[in-house]
Amino acid sequence: MTQALLEQVINGLMMGSVYVLVALGLVLIYGVMHVVNFAHGVLFTLGGYLGHFFFTQWWDSFWMATLLSMLSVGLVGYALERGVFHPLHGNLRNQVIASLGLILAFENAVIALWGPNALQWKVATTEQLVSVGELRFSVHHLGIIVLTMAMITALGLFLKHTRFGTAIRATSQNQEAALVVGIPVRRVQWSAFALGSALAALGGCLVGPLFLVFPQMGDVPLVKGLAGILLGGMGSVPGAVVGGLILGVTESVSTLFLPTDYRDAIAFMVMVGILLLRPQGLWGQRVRGED
Amino acid sequence: MGLKGLACLLVLLVLASAPWWAAQQPFLLHMLVTACVLVVPAVGLNLMLGHGGLVSLGHMGFAGIGAYVAAVLMVDARWSFAPSVLAAMLAAGAAGGLISLLCFRFRGHFFMIVTLAFGLMLHAVMNNWDSVTRGAAGFAGIPRPSPLRWGDQVWSFGPLPNFYALALGMAVLAFALQYLVVHSNFGRSLAAIRQDERLARSRGVNTLLYKTTVFAMGTALAGMGGVLQVSFLRVAAPASFTMLESINMVLIVIIGGAGSLVGPALGALLYVGLPEMLRLSNEWRLVIFGVMLVLITLFAPKGLAGLCARAWQWLIPRKTTAVAKP
Amino acid sequence: MTSITSLFAASALALCAWLPAAHAQTKVQIGIVTALTGPMAAPGVFQMNGFKLAAEEINAAGGFTVGGRKYSIDLKVYDTRANPSEGATAMQRLATVDKVPVVLGELSSGVAAAIAPIAQDFALPFILTVPTGPNLTEQNNPFLFRVNANNHQLNVALADFLTKQAWSPISFIAWNNDAGRGGVSGIKELLPAAKDGYVGYFNVGEVDFSSHIANVRNSKSQAVMLFMDEEPGSLAIKQIRDAGLKVHLVGTLAMGSDRFLKRLDAQKLEGMLQYNAFPPNADVPRIKKFSQLYKAKFGEEAHGFSAQSYDGLMVAVAAMQAAGTVSDGKAIRDALAKINHTGVIGTIKFDAKGQANPQVYVTQWCANGSRRILYPDAAKAGCGAG
Repeated sequence: MTQALLEQVINGLMMGSVYVLVALGLVLIYGVMHVVNFAHGVLFTLGGYLGHFFFTQWWDSFWMATLLSMLSVGLVGYALERGVFHPLHGNLRNQVIASLGLILAFENAVIALWGPNALQWKVATTEQLVSVGELRFSVHHLGIIVLTMAMITALGLFLKHTRFGTAIRATSQNQEAALVVGIPVRRVQWSAFALGSALAALGGCLVGPLFLVFPQMGDVPLVKGLAGILLGGMGSVPGAVVGGLILGVTESVSTLFLPTDYRDAIAFMVMVGILLLRPQGLWGQRVRGED
Repeated sequence: MGLKGLACLLVLLVLASAPWWAAQQPFLLHMLVTACVLVVPAVGLNLMLGHGGLVSLGHMGFAGIGAYVAAVLMVDARWSFAPSVLAAMLAAGAAGGLISLLCFRFRGHFFMIVTLAFGLMLHAVMNNWDSVTRGAAGFAGIPRPSPLRWGDQVWSFGPLPNFYALALGMAVLAFALQYLVVHSNFGRSLAAIRQDERLARSRGVNTLLYKTTVFAMGTALAGMGGVLQVSFLRVAAPASFTMLESINMVLIVIIGGAGSLVGPALGALLYVGLPEMLRLSNEWRLVIFGVMLVLITLFAPKGLAGLCARAWQWLIPRKTTAVAKP
Repeated sequence: MTSITSLFAASALALCAWLPAAHAQTKVQIGIVTALTGPMAAPGVFQMNGFKLAAEEINAAGGFTVGGRKYSIDLKVYDTRANPSEGATAMQRLATVDKVPVVLGELSSGVAAAIAPIAQDFALPFILTVPTGPNLTEQNNPFLFRVNANNHQLNVALADFLTKQAWSPISFIAWNNDAGRGGVSGIKELLPAAKDGYVGYFNVGEVDFSSHIANVRNSKSQAVMLFMDEEPGSLAIKQIRDAGLKVHLVGTLAMGSDRFLKRLDAQKLEGMLQYNAFPPNADVPRIKKFSQLYKAKFGEEAHGFSAQSYDGLMVAVAAMQAAGTVSDGKAIRDALAKINHTGVIGTIKFDAKGQANPQVYVTQWCANGSRRILYPDAAKAGCGAG
């Protein structure tokens, strides 16, 4: 039984790190602009497709393709911020509605351009295996965990020890005060959006070779990423990490005891339960004025 | 009655007489029935979202509750249509009320995400509870309402024009309910809550009670729509009540014009009619809807109803004094 | 021209319009409902390919003859995107606007259930070529026919084969939709060995099977049945093999084609079994001919859905010829009820409920990437002939 538990925990950590990647992008955007970008999932998908495109058409290198994809999607994020989210600033309802519209538009455009079938992205690391006792995992999968950890550290360092990172933190704490102090708030906003979008694209590129590139590939990570940041506390980076990992592990472990067709429902119930006890999430802070 | 009231009556007359002028085009009647089936839950969502300011992303889950409750009652327990509709509305409304109490512990984005989560949970139950809902393959064999009889006249709901009469009737009922709610004291307090909840609360309004009531009303209407849909299609399938369908419902309400009385009708007609007009593009038509949604939120937040109102005002400018010039 | 001349010319032209077009070919529109977009779009392509192949073959031969006239086929296709309401709308349109004599297709059982009553309302025969939900043919609908085997038939054949292998316990990983859930509940009824195994459901779009694999490992199952389509199937099998799980793999008919092989390689697939409506390389003339036709047009190996759909359209045409009409739905339905047609998948004869009884095979992947047929005993064939 303990071996089963251990195996499920490791599985959960692996899937959880994908959720964390998505959650990090969401939290960055939320922190700075107080908007949940529901279209984050389609940026994840777009990242995967563009990565596959660059890999097959231009460069046979996984890293170059991923980098190009991150740059392209970052640009898309910038355009979305300027064109859609900034004009709707302050109107929560319309921002959410607009992002729903973006989901419809992007997801179906992807199908129209690339077709409904899944694409294969053959990268060497998905074939190489590593043994841990009786269990075996692919190098790529472990690589996702390592890369996510690296991203988290890099992001943390960036936010704490660089000027621009501090500017981002300041803007997320109090926008008006940041303006007063001379922080270029607009620049911070679209940079955060672009950076968050690039993170989503990275997620898509990492997951694509392992799990195929298909039009709905961003849907599940989006919902899980949202649940992750809700659990961890919106606007909190450590919260996003913990929330994503907890969600991944809960999902996997629950399959040992509970019927798997209700797995998602159970994960949500756990999340809602925790939130009822601690509405600001595990790491979040009660913000005055946001009830 | 006023110009607006007269216009509504005219539209109603045109729609009610559809079986006659559309007799040679049964497909048009089918489209109108589909629009009625969509408009009933849309009115419910309009009450919640447009008038109450509550963005629910799981609305069709409640339509599913209504649909399956009625399905089980009509097929397994052999109830007739009217009591099943009432039971379905009660079930959906009660579920909505209870679930909303949980959801109202959250604000803003949290609230929306939690409604999404509940919609997904409801769908999981519909899909997996094979013994009751017949699971993913769908609950087939749902009957049309039993024929009405008086004397030796029999009026069956099998033929499309007859069912259309029922669908139109239920849609009109939904709109009538909406009108009554919005123009009542309840509706006025609701508007106050939507505009500034804290202020309303400070004036002594029990905001939780109002929000829960409007949520329950909205989900009860969704339940009514659900029954209408499965009676029309004669099958209840979980695929009709997914997250995507809930998002489509939000689309209908927003594009039509959230908060306006006729918004849901405009949205439903466009949603049903546009694919027929643009039948050439499949994925592209959904892309068009998505882009429309973004454009509407950016440039025409009052939706089609708002655009129509502006057009109306441009056509029939009302006399204004120099001071009050818009 | 003078006014009299122009009048004469006009009347001559008008007269020509009235003359019957003696040798012009008339088109018959045949209705198709399938999923072209949405999550079921990928299998929808295979269904369409079958219809296209049949229509082109008939049209290339100059059309089909009914009552002394030649008709060519025009397919009127509607996308139902696996949504019951869209399915009903499409069927209504086909019945009242396009006024087709027969409709074929659909992928998903839930949508087919919404379409079938409309077929009955308008006396329009509806021929299913892919949905496997058994209760579709239990609704006493005389206008519904099904060419493909339903879940019950597939499971009976598979259970028969598996009982002989005596593997126990058997676990399942299945799609959480009508095909997956129906398959699991059906097989469990027929196979006592399936009672103690693990049952894992996953939603369409989910891609990580690690938690399911861990549980299968712990249940010490000897075999795992995969109730899903190609795309998740290729991921599941890769993950199962990579995890070093030593189990026999049993899959659905989607996992018996070359396209599936391209996703994985032969080492990972070797030994895997699947039930199959259509072994494309079988040494049977009707199957060989279809496979060659399919490969010539689409450049890849034929898929079971395509074979079933091809037969569906051919049966519809044969029924129209037998009934002597291209517009009377009721007469075509009566002809379908009596028909005995030899199709690519075998003899097509509908029982009283409208269900045909095609042969179900069990095939197995060999080490060199070809397949062999293991069941039924009469059709057993070696590697390369599956």
